[in-house]
Amino acid sequence: MSDWPDRFHAELVRLGVPGPRARRLTEDTAAQAAETTTDPAGLFGPAHLYARHLVTELAAPVGATPPRYASGPVLLTLAGVGKRYRRRTVLSGVDLTVRGGEVAAIVGANGCGKSTLLRICAGLTRPDAGTVHRTRRVGYVPQDGGTAGWLTADEHFALFGAAAGVVPGRARSTGAHLAAKLAWRPEPGQRAQQLSGGTRQKLNLVLGELHSPDLLLLDEPYQGFDQGTYLDFWHQVHAWRDAGRAVVVVTHLLHDLGNVDHVLDLGER
Amino acid sequence: MTALVVAGLSAREVSRRRTAVLLVIALPLWFYLVRRDQTGQSIRMLALGIGWAISTLTLFVVNASRGVDPRLRLSGASVTGLVGGRLLAMSGTGALLALGYALLAGLDQDVPHPVLAGLIMLISALIAAPFGSLVGSLLPRELEGALALLSVCAVQMLADPAGLTAKLMPFWSVREIGTYAVDGGDISMLWHGLAHAALVWLLCAAGTLAVFSHRLRLAHYPEP
Repeated sequence: MSDWPDRFHAELVRLGVPGPRARRLTEDTAAQAAETTTDPAGLFGPAHLYARHLVTELAAPVGATPPRYASGPVLLTLAGVGKRYRRRTVLSGVDLTVRGGEVAAIVGANGCGKSTLLRICAGLTRPDAGTVHRTRRVGYVPQDGGTAGWLTADEHFALFGAAAGVVPGRARSTGAHLAAKLAWRPEPGQRAQQLSGGTRQKLNLVLGELHSPDLLLLDEPYQGFDQGTYLDFWHQVHAWRDAGRAVVVVTHLLHDLGNVDHVLDLGER
Repeated sequence: MTALVVAGLSAREVSRRRTAVLLVIALPLWFYLVRRDQTGQSIRMLALGIGWAISTLTLFVVNASRGVDPRLRLSGASVTGLVGGRLLAMSGTGALLALGYALLAGLDQDVPHPVLAGLIMLISALIAAPFGSLVGSLLPRELEGALALLSVCAVQMLADPAGLTAKLMPFWSVREIGTYAVDGGDISMLWHGLAHAALVWLLCAAGTLAVFSHRLRLAHYPEP
């Protein structure tokens, strides 16, 4: 991985960091890796992802004041979306617009159609009424399931990477890097069915993000998380937002709503 | 690339189901042993047992992938890649099983056409993979799927090979070629059997692809 610093530097420049600053950051990063006598790729993960992460971190102001971010282009628009299952109307006249750099929360009572709406956003379920406009690159994290019980985390990374056209080696290193952001280091040989509920949800999250989607659709993704992981999760959501991505999250936790830019209340069933 | 990765990981998944794999390996053996004294019957039963075992294993693999497939589609995988990858893995597993039993039968029995005897085991395994896939795609629960496979295999074993019912079953070619390979007969039996096997394979593979294409279809929304 001797070209890691070059790729890191190139990615920083591509992300808009001025040349001298990018060079200094590259030297600092290399020095940091040298201190631990570790390969930079082993310590920081893939160069392009670490560069993106670093740029996001550097852009975040220090202090208690909630930061405001400039919204980007519209990545998801729902207009008058409706869905019926036989005679039962699950959704009716739902409108939502989410831009890059924004987080939207979908709330509502059990059975009011939150997960159905998210599946419609993903394209897994077709709406019966209304129109949907959506960016092409989308990541979807279902409420449960979504993993293969007999495969390890590494194998999941390879599988989902292959689906997105990424070679297995790169998909594995990207997956390990994203897992580290959620304070999780997958154990080699441990199958998904042997993971705890919270850790399986971390795997779910990583798989949703593995192909760097512009829009992330998360269906109550923190089930089983402990307090620390829950905080890591919201930190991660904010990092995605700061990187210009759009996030739509289904939640039933009202204290989450302080973390989001839009709230779509689907009301009672 | 997707199909090859899916194939490799599906094969790995199967290899981790150790108890199931042991039972799958053993199942055709029981079929063989109970008719070991009759060469023709033992070979045909062995081939049908391979078909039953591989189709059941494929059913489990297809059902286990239900939660993952929609997400893989969203990530960019094609339906052909997913279905083709699993068929490749299960056909390979079946071919290995068939090879092992072909060697056993070749050593243990005096067969006039040992190559053809091996061929019916291979054909049985190759048909079983798409057939198990099709049943798995139509019947989403493992119990229902396994019972459907049991019914089909039981009818195939019991039905008169010359009758219409047997010909409508997926493994008729095994009995037809088996009869030619062991008991001798007109060469047309071989061609009829091969044609039946090819037709069943095509129908099952196309049916699986059609069902999964429908189930895993994605709504294509315009960009904002």
